[in-house]
Amino acid sequence: MNTFVQRFAGSSASKELLAGNASITEDEDFSDAAWGSEAGFGSLARGVPSFMVPSVPDPASFLRLHTDDHADPSCRIKIQHGTTTLAFRFQGGVIVAVDSRATAGSYVASGTVKKVIEINPYLLGTMAGGAADCQYWETYLGMHCRLHELRNRERISVSAASKYLSNLVYSYKGMGLSMGTMICGWDKTGPAVFYVDSDGTRLKGDLFSVGSGSTFAYGVLDQGYRWDLSDEEAQELGRRSIYAAGHRDAFSGNTCNLYHVKENGWEFIGNYDITTLHYDGPGNVAGSPGHGYGYDLRVEGHSSANPPPAAAPVVAAQA
Amino acid sequence: MSIMEYNGGSVIAMVGKDCVAIASDLRLGNQALSISSNFQKIFPVTDRIYLGLPGLATDVTTLRERFRYRVNMYTIKEEREIEPETFAHLVSSTLYEHRFGQYFIEPVIAGLSKTPSGGVKPFIAATDIIGCLNFAKDFVVAGTASSKLFGVAEGLWEPDLEPEDLFETISQSLLNAVDRDAFSGWGAIVHVITKDKVTTRTLKGRMD
Amino acid sequence: METSFALTGKGYVIVAADTTAARSIVKMKVDEDKIKELSSHLLMAYSGEPGDTVQFAEYVERNIRLYQIRNLYPLRPSAAASWVRRSLAESLRSRNSYTVSLLLGGYDLATHTPNLYWIDYLGTSVEVPFAAHGYGSYFALSLLDRYHDPEASLEEGLATLKRCIDEVSKRLVVSPGKYKVKIVDKDGVREVEL
Repeated sequence: MNTFVQRFAGSSASKELLAGNASITEDEDFSDAAWGSEAGFGSLARGVPSFMVPSVPDPASFLRLHTDDHADPSCRIKIQHGTTTLAFRFQGGVIVAVDSRATAGSYVASGTVKKVIEINPYLLGTMAGGAADCQYWETYLGMHCRLHELRNRERISVSAASKYLSNLVYSYKGMGLSMGTMICGWDKTGPAVFYVDSDGTRLKGDLFSVGSGSTFAYGVLDQGYRWDLSDEEAQELGRRSIYAAGHRDAFSGNTCNLYHVKENGWEFIGNYDITTLHYDGPGNVAGSPGHGYGYDLRVEGHSSANPPPAAAPVVAAQA
Repeated sequence: MSIMEYNGGSVIAMVGKDCVAIASDLRLGNQALSISSNFQKIFPVTDRIYLGLPGLATDVTTLRERFRYRVNMYTIKEEREIEPETFAHLVSSTLYEHRFGQYFIEPVIAGLSKTPSGGVKPFIAATDIIGCLNFAKDFVVAGTASSKLFGVAEGLWEPDLEPEDLFETISQSLLNAVDRDAFSGWGAIVHVITKDKVTTRTLKGRMD
Repeated sequence: METSFALTGKGYVIVAADTTAARSIVKMKVDEDKIKELSSHLLMAYSGEPGDTVQFAEYVERNIRLYQIRNLYPLRPSAAASWVRRSLAESLRSRNSYTVSLLLGGYDLATHTPNLYWIDYLGTSVEVPFAAHGYGSYFALSLLDRYHDPEASLEEGLATLKRCIDEVSKRLVVSPGKYKVKIVDKDGVREVEL
C-alpha cells in the first residue's frame, strides 16, 4: 500500500520495527525483556514495545495475506468478527452497551466475551474487530492515562486519551490491526464519547454504534434518543438497542453488558441474557417495561384482519 | 459464504421405540440478517412420513412442491399410500435428476413403515445434495449446525426411547446444537410420529 | 441503493419504494415509480438489476391480468405470491435469470386479511408482517421489531413508515431522497403523500 513511503521514508513504524527485529535476532533467544518485571508492559523506558515483524520486504502485505477477511475467510490468523457495541451520551452521563458473542465463521465460539474494557475507574473502551488488538492497546492506553495523571497531577481528558490511542494505531496503519472502539468517559467538559478505529479515524459524537449489528442498533437507538433522557430511560434504550441487534444479526447476541459512566466514574449496571430479554424483559430493574421485548410476544393475539361488522338481523315486519 | 449457509437452518431426525421424531429450527436468514422466525422446513408427505428440507430456501419451497406432485401422482396411480423406503428412493432419484445443477438441499426423511404383522417400524433416512441415501439406525442430521447436532445427538441418544423421552432427547439435541450456530435458531419445531398420531410442538428457543 | 419497505396494519398493506433511478454516480431520474399495481387489490414493489426489474414486473402484471380475464376472478395474494415465486425459481436455473427482489402486498377479500410477502431474487418467499429490501433493511427491520403493530390504524402505520424513512435518510451513506407510498386495503389500491 504505502510501499514507496516505507522504502524511502526516513522513519516509519514498520522501519523501526524491522530495525528492532534485527537487534532482537542478534541476542540469544530471550532478551532481558522476557524476564520478570520487564516482561509485557514492564518497562516503558524503551518507548512503545517493539514487536517481532516478519523479515520480508513488505510486512504489511504479508500479514494481510495471512489474516482472514472477506476476501479469504480460510486464512490462519482469525479475527473474531461480528459484534454490536454502542455508546451514547446524554444529560446523565454515558451509556455503554455491548453484546457478548464471538463467532468464527458460523460457529459461535463464545457467548461470554467481555467487550467493554475497563481502562480505569472513569474511562471505558469498547471492543469490536480483533479482540486481542482491542484488549492489548486499550490496557496499554490505561497505563498511559495513569502516567499522564502522575505527570500532570490531573486526570486525563477523554479527548486526550482517545487521541493517544488514535495516534498509536495510526502508526500501525496498514499492518493489519483491526479495531473499532469507542472511548467513553466523563471529564471537565462533561460526558464524552470518541469513536477510534484502526484506519486512524477519530470522531467526537453523541451517539455511536459499531459492529456487524450496528445498523440494527441504530434503528432503535436513533428513534429513542434524546439528550434529556432520564437515567432509567437511557439504560433501557441501551438494553433495547443491543437486544434489537442481537435478535436480527446472526453474529451478535447471547448477553448484553450495560455500563453507565457518571461524573465520579463508571458503574456496571448488569448483564442481561438476550433470550431472557426477548421473553421476560430485563426483570426488576429501573426502566424495565415489565414484559418481554420480543415482537411476537408484543403482538400476540393481534391480527391485521378487519372483517366487516356482522350486519344486524333484519326484523321481519309484522303484518 | 457457501450457498448452503446462505439461508441457514438445520434438521434432525431420531428413532425411538415404535416412533420417530423429526425437528428443525425456524430461522430464515439472508446471510447475517434474519428475516423470518416462522419458516417451516418440515412438511408432511403422508400421515406417517415427514420430510425435512434444510438448505437454500428457494429450493426448500420448490422441492416441497415437486415432492407433493410426485407423491400425489404415486397415490393416484398405485391407489395406495407411499411407504417411507419408497419415498426415500423417490427423493434420491429426484435429486439425482439434477446431478449437474443441483438443488442445494440435504433432505431428511422420518416415517413409520408398515410391517407385515400390522405393526409399525420406525424409519429414518437422509441424503446428500445429489441423492446418496443414508439409512441410519439411530439419528440423522443435516444443515448448517450438522456438526454440532452430531455431537449432541451422539451424546444423548439411546435406543428404544418412548415417545415422550424421544421428544425430550431430540429437543435438547436441537436446541443446544443451534445455540452454537450463528445461522440456525430463532425457534424450533418438533414432530413426534407414532402409530396413532403425530404430536407437533413448537419450542421456545434462543431468539438471537 | 434501492430501498423498499412494506408493513401491514388493520386491514391494509402499505408499500413504499424509493423513486431514484441511478446509473453509476448519476441520478438519472428522481420520480420513478417502482411499485406496480398487479390487480385491484395487489401491489408489488420491485428492485434489482436494471432492465430485469421492469421486464419481470410487467410479465407478472400481464399474467395476473390474464388469469383474471380467463377465470373472471382475481388471484388471491397467496396464490399470486406462489406464482411469482415459481417464476423466479424457474428463471434462476435457466440461461438468463431475473435478478429482481420483490415485496408483494395484497388484500384478500375472502378472508378480509392483508397479506405481505418478501420475495428475493432466488425465489425465496415468506409471509411476514413487515419487510424491507436493500441496505435500508439493515436499519428498518430492528426499528419495525420495536414499533410495528399489526392492529395499527392507517395513520399510525404511516407514522411508523415515516420513522423508517427518516432513519434510512439519517444513516445510509447514499440514501434516497423521495419515496413513493401506495396502500392496498378493502377498497383497492391508492397512492398517498407522506
